[in-house]
Amino acid sequence: MKEGLVGLEIEERGDVVVARLTGELDIAGAARTGERIAEAVPTSALGLVVDLMELEFIDSSGIAMLFALARRLGSQRQELSVAAPPGGPVARVLEIVEFDRAAPVHAEVDTAVADLQG
Amino acid sequence: MRALPELFDLRVKARSLAYLFTAGAGLGLVTLAFPHDPEVMELELIVLAAIAVAIAGVVYVEADRIRPWHLHVALGLGTLILTFANYYVGVNSLYPLLYTWTALYAFYFFPLGVSLAHVAFIALCYAVLLVIQDPSSPIVRWLLAVGTPVVAGLLISRLLERMGVEVNTGEQRERALRQSEARTRLVLDSAPDAFVTLDRDGIITTWNVAAEKMFGWSAVEAIGKPLRSIIIPPEHRERHDKRRRELIEHEGAVATQVYDVVLQRRDGSRFDGEATVSRVVIGDDVILAGFLRDMTERQRREEERDELMRAQAARAEAERVAEMMSGMGALVDAALARRRLDEVLADLVAGVQKVLGADAAAIFLADDEQESLHLAATSSGIEPASVEPIPFGDGFPGRVARSREPLFARHPDQADLRDPGLRDMEIDSLLAVPLLARGAVTGVLRVCASPPRRFTADDLGMLRLAADRVALAVSHARIHEREHQIAETLQRSLLPERLPDLPGLKVAASYRPAAAEAEVGGDWYDVIPIPGGGAGLVMGDVAGKGLAAASMVGRLRSALRAYALEGHDPAMVVQQLNRLVWTEAAESQMVTLLYVVVDPTEGLARWVNAGHPPPVLVGGNGRPQFLEGGTSVPLGVQPFPSYEEMSAAMAPGSTLVLYTDGLVEVPGAHIDEGMSRLMEQLPGAPEEPKALCDYLLGRLVPPRGAPDDVALLTLRNVPLSDRLRFEVPSEPEALASMRALLRRWLRYGGGGEQEVADITTACGEAATNAIEHAGLSGGKPFEVTGLLKGREVEISVRDFGAWRTPREGDQGRGLSLMRALMDTVHVSPTPEGTTVRLRRTLREAGGNGGPK
Repeated sequence: MKEGLVGLEIEERGDVVVARLTGELDIAGAARTGERIAEAVPTSALGLVVDLMELEFIDSSGIAMLFALARRLGSQRQELSVAAPPGGPVARVLEIVEFDRAAPVHAEVDTAVADLQG
Repeated sequence: MRALPELFDLRVKARSLAYLFTAGAGLGLVTLAFPHDPEVMELELIVLAAIAVAIAGVVYVEADRIRPWHLHVALGLGTLILTFANYYVGVNSLYPLLYTWTALYAFYFFPLGVSLAHVAFIALCYAVLLVIQDPSSPIVRWLLAVGTPVVAGLLISRLLERMGVEVNTGEQRERALRQSEARTRLVLDSAPDAFVTLDRDGIITTWNVAAEKMFGWSAVEAIGKPLRSIIIPPEHRERHDKRRRELIEHEGAVATQVYDVVLQRRDGSRFDGEATVSRVVIGDDVILAGFLRDMTERQRREEERDELMRAQAARAEAERVAEMMSGMGALVDAALARRRLDEVLADLVAGVQKVLGADAAAIFLADDEQESLHLAATSSGIEPASVEPIPFGDGFPGRVARSREPLFARHPDQADLRDPGLRDMEIDSLLAVPLLARGAVTGVLRVCASPPRRFTADDLGMLRLAADRVALAVSHARIHEREHQIAETLQRSLLPERLPDLPGLKVAASYRPAAAEAEVGGDWYDVIPIPGGGAGLVMGDVAGKGLAAASMVGRLRSALRAYALEGHDPAMVVQQLNRLVWTEAAESQMVTLLYVVVDPTEGLARWVNAGHPPPVLVGGNGRPQFLEGGTSVPLGVQPFPSYEEMSAAMAPGSTLVLYTDGLVEVPGAHIDEGMSRLMEQLPGAPEEPKALCDYLLGRLVPPRGAPDDVALLTLRNVPLSDRLRFEVPSEPEALASMRALLRRWLRYGGGGEQEVADITTACGEAATNAIEHAGLSGGKPFEVTGLLKGREVEISVRDFGAWRTPREGDQGRGLSLMRALMDTVHVSPTPEGTTVRLRRTLREAGGNGGPK
């Protein structure tokens, strides 16, 4: 599914939900995408991995969405982990806003999943 | 009546004179033979007689050469000879009586004046004689001598004048009679009918040429035979005899009877005839004269004539009916035509005038409130709008509208007509009927007749028939007009009110409705911003016109927008539209569609063509080319047609021209010709899209409008330069396009991938703020300007909304991102809006290796 320019795919890997974002995440799609990801995570799940490996662009709205997901999962004693290619524009923005203070940022989805299951 | 003497020629007069002299001389000599006075001198008398005979002889012989005065002289000599004879014989003899003869001659043959002179001479001679022979009572003798010849001569001449012509013109009358008889015979012989006369015994006495022809008996053969034996069939002879006897014995001068008879020719064949027989009394005799006519011939001719007249009458009737029917047909055509009311009305007025043979016709239409009428169309040629509305009940039209009853008037009052166009017309009669539709009075139909035309009851019936059709036509036209208005409104609402701002692209469109009478067409265009910086260009044409076409356009437009925004490929979008048209549109609904997606980032135009005229791509070098290929069937023709996507490079500076066939349709020419004309116009045309649209319409579309609607859409891929300036709608969805253009520009400026991403992200943050300032629901577009100075990049984002102090958290994060990504960030909020200035020096070795 697409919201504006952003694509979203949900996948469950055992107890972990993986939300894969593609395209560009900005104010046009951030709020709605955040809601849909949150809805996709059952309370039974261990946690959520947001896969940003193929996301081309993220702005402060996208960052705000990620922070909001982190807060929400945290309140449900669930964990959030993010995967983004190092050195890319998304990783750079995550770095600038020091997102790793809210949730770990991994270089790969598998390591992010393993981190949660770990 | 001519004087008697003039009736005779000189020869007759001369001979008469000769007879007179000879008779006189003879009488004189005869008296000598009887006992007489011995004193009478015989010798002298014989000499006188001889002189008289001699004169008579000369006159008689020379009668052919004689002159009128010779006769006077001769008669004078005669009087002298007579006087000498009296002298010798004595006045008591018979000789004085002979004076009467000469006097008679003079009166008879000479004009009155001359004859009186002769009489006077005679009287003189006689008076001299009397005086010489008996001097005793001279006065008595004078009176006798003068009076006797004068009185006798006058009396006799008067008497002869009265009856002379009858008696003496007998010869001429005879001649005239013979001529008359010849004429009569000629007439009778040339008469088409047989003419027969019978004597009282039924024997034929006259048999004309027609009779010869009719019966085959010549006149020679027929005359002298009894009629009954040659032309009366044996079984009818008895009846013939009976009728003949009745006629003969009929008392009275003339009796004429007409009989239908059966007659028989010489060869025995029979025919029906008609005999017109008259009983003619000639002196004591009675004859029968009859005309016989062959009725078979006449019947045949009469039948032919009747047939001819019937045929003529039938033809005249047929022509009248045909004329009327064609008039009625025109009314029905007008009723069924889907055309504008005012045009239909003009046809209707003409049609009604024709049907009724009226000298003037007019249609008044009622307003919706049913309160007043206005003159809507008239044959008189005046401008209907110049006539004031007529309240119901006023004048002839108003009265008809109120009463809803037909009205007939002779010599109507001008003031009541309410049609100034009739002012100079002499009107014998007027008929007006209401136009009724669904129980309401929609108007009044009025016709006028000028002498000699006069309306009758038949005309009223005909006018009512015409009125039914006119009412139908009017209501159809009104419905159609309303439909047209709705369709027009709908169509206008379906065309974009304003085209979107597309960063890096410039679009313009024009829509030119067809020439006045045409209906709202199904042309439409649309420009859809494609997330990511592209533009979807739509140019379509729904076959058909009016409301149905307009509503189809509405559905297609919405559907296409939805499919496009879902991010489907052009081919997929068009396929889905085809499904829509195929499954939902009315039967045989056909839509041509051209869908082009322009991706300025890639410099690519991708299109799918469903039966639409190909777009034109004008390259950066100004050279135009049709984007042929990829053309498939129109929408709604097949359930699963294959729509193929085609693509062409669309470098910065190039322009795309989309249009509907109205632009390239040249009346009477193949569409290729129109397309060639378009191609000829493009080199040298303005680059700016709006100017280009105006330029093309001005050159390809007649000022009064094309036969069909014309839609034209142009898009220019604006070439990049060191200066960048564009507007972005204050909508979150517009940000992607903005970023796409910025990336292009930054790459153009020589930015490395990292730098391009950083600057784009920073600008995105500034733009997000601008949208928030304008209110998330959108407001005034904000403005982005970029400037490259060597490796220095400066970008300003200027909005026209209200500054909001960034809160800690989400929004505040935007500002800190900008600061982290750019060398300098300068925010200057003012009451009119906020400007964010971002600067950064490029250090990476970018893909383009710096500005070109």
